[in-house]
Amino acid sequence: MVKKIHDLKQWQKSLRVVDPWSMGVMFLILALLPIFISNEYYLNILTICLIYATLASTWNLLVGYTGILSFGHQAFYGLGAYFSALITIKLQLSPWLGLLAGGCFAGLLSLLIGIPCLRLRIAPYIAIATLAFSEIMLVICRNWVSLTRGEMGLWGIPTFENFSVLGLFDVQFSGGAKISYYYVMLAIFIITLLVIYFQLSSKIGTALKSIREDQDAAASLGVDITRYKLTAFITSSFFAGVTGSFYAHYLSILEPGAVFGVAEMVEVVAITLVGGIGTFLGPTVGAFTLIIGLETLRMVADYRMIIYGATLVLLILLMPNGLLHGMTNLVLKAKHFFNSRKYTGENKV
Amino acid sequence: MIHYSILFEQLINGLVLGSMYALVASGLTLIWGTMKMLNFSHGELFMLGGFGIYIGVVSFHLPVWLALSLVMVFIFIIAALIEKAFISPLLKRPDWDVSAVVVTLGIGIFIQNLAFKIWGGDYRNVPYVVEGTLSFLGMRFAWHRIYILVMTVIVLVGFWQFMKRTRFGMAMRATSFDSDTAMLMGIAPRRIFTITFGLSACLAALAGSALAPIFSVNPWMGVVPLIKGFIVVILGGLGSFSGAILGGFIIGLSETFSVLFLPSGWKDIISFVLLIVILVIRPQGLLGKKEW
Repeated sequence: MVKKIHDLKQWQKSLRVVDPWSMGVMFLILALLPIFISNEYYLNILTICLIYATLASTWNLLVGYTGILSFGHQAFYGLGAYFSALITIKLQLSPWLGLLAGGCFAGLLSLLIGIPCLRLRIAPYIAIATLAFSEIMLVICRNWVSLTRGEMGLWGIPTFENFSVLGLFDVQFSGGAKISYYYVMLAIFIITLLVIYFQLSSKIGTALKSIREDQDAAASLGVDITRYKLTAFITSSFFAGVTGSFYAHYLSILEPGAVFGVAEMVEVVAITLVGGIGTFLGPTVGAFTLIIGLETLRMVADYRMIIYGATLVLLILLMPNGLLHGMTNLVLKAKHFFNSRKYTGENKV
Repeated sequence: MIHYSILFEQLINGLVLGSMYALVASGLTLIWGTMKMLNFSHGELFMLGGFGIYIGVVSFHLPVWLALSLVMVFIFIIAALIEKAFISPLLKRPDWDVSAVVVTLGIGIFIQNLAFKIWGGDYRNVPYVVEGTLSFLGMRFAWHRIYILVMTVIVLVGFWQFMKRTRFGMAMRATSFDSDTAMLMGIAPRRIFTITFGLSACLAALAGSALAPIFSVNPWMGVVPLIKGFIVVILGGLGSFSGAILGGFIIGLSETFSVLFLPSGWKDIISFVLLIVILVIRPQGLLGKKEW
């Protein structure tokens, strides 16, 4: 009996989205990282890693957990970026408000494609329909010159206002103070991951996974497919929009291809797959690995993208369940190897 | 009032563009039909076709027919090797649909940047296969465009008959219908997959080599045909050969006629909007089968 309860606990543990402790440790490491790395260039790369980690995590919610194969995630990233940039430039609103507004705008417009996608059942149809949606956004953005300045791009996007914490110390945002941007992005990243975490560990998460496994069976058990699918769509687009908005205020310049381009989608898909699709921390591991790897490859300028393409293929072939899983497996195997050596005598008894 | 000759010229241009989309898309739909995957390196095989014809005709001064056949053989071998080495190991994996996408994306990135490294980013021109123009009722058409149109029709009809009548075509259709049952009937699905991948690459390369004289050859020439090809296959219904051809001509014609009433920058929006509208009305695409 005791054994059985133990098993039940094990089983409940295996159902858990992620070990909260490992998530906490990861947040802590990321928060302490700037103490050791104060170089502006490295901080910039880390901030970009966080941007992609957030984007990939939101994409993972949609694809890995709900089974909606979207190839149009860059649309919401771009919509958030452009909306926030435009309202801060034209209406002089605060960029802090822009973060929220960009997210809401992206979440709202995600319904434009989310609702038609509800009827599509075969993955590639959803993939190409969402890709078409983001391409439409790209064409609009390129050609509505009076609003977005088209290919000339927006520049001089206002950056975040300085503030002080309890009057004790000032947080400043300028080109030379990358550290405050890093912490803003870290905050966005943590909030995104926590929201996804709580969604997945609640009833919503179970519903989403049941939709992924078998939509018809889920519906027959009374899961409201429309509601849950749209919840996943809106959540992931909202945070993609917030991330896009941060990107706009971080770089202060914006052009259509940089946010709406298919290349952004490729990056997000690759990151998620390399890290481990359908795993909670996989996209983060993938983002840090690929972005830092790509940055290191700048040394071999000409061969950079050739190596990148080859690495992508090899990683997928050799690490079937993603880097995160591959590494955990390696650690477990090593542990098992040492343990079995240590206890060989006892085992025989 | 638009003059009829403009309309007629646009019709020919639309048919030429449509036939190219049909060639690219039929390769994609063939792969989906048998292997159930989206091939994101298809555009790069299109690009290799363009470079192949450039090297054959401009660098080595080969006659067009010889250059074209050599290109087809090379592309078939390259594609078959890619399939054997990188795609076939993925076949039985549970995340097959997404992992195949990333692997083919990686192969695409690799080929594209390798081409850039080897041949550089210059825009290269390839001479027309057939020189001169045809005058007809006061309108002039380049013979090359007519050649493209005729060639596409011959290739597609030939391919369709090949699928329908030959033993190999039958094996291919059987595999796409149910690969496990096909295996029981003595068909080796793995071999079918490899050959299908090679043939579909040949279709892409053929389109690339035919379009090379109209658009110039460069390492990025495959990106737009790839996206358009996907739009076309989904519009026509994934896995349906005739759907890909129908979709190709619909997109080609609507794009060329759109320039009559839309500024050129907005031209690209037509196919995307068309796709979403049709999917709202018919979720399985125009000629697709309902798979649920």
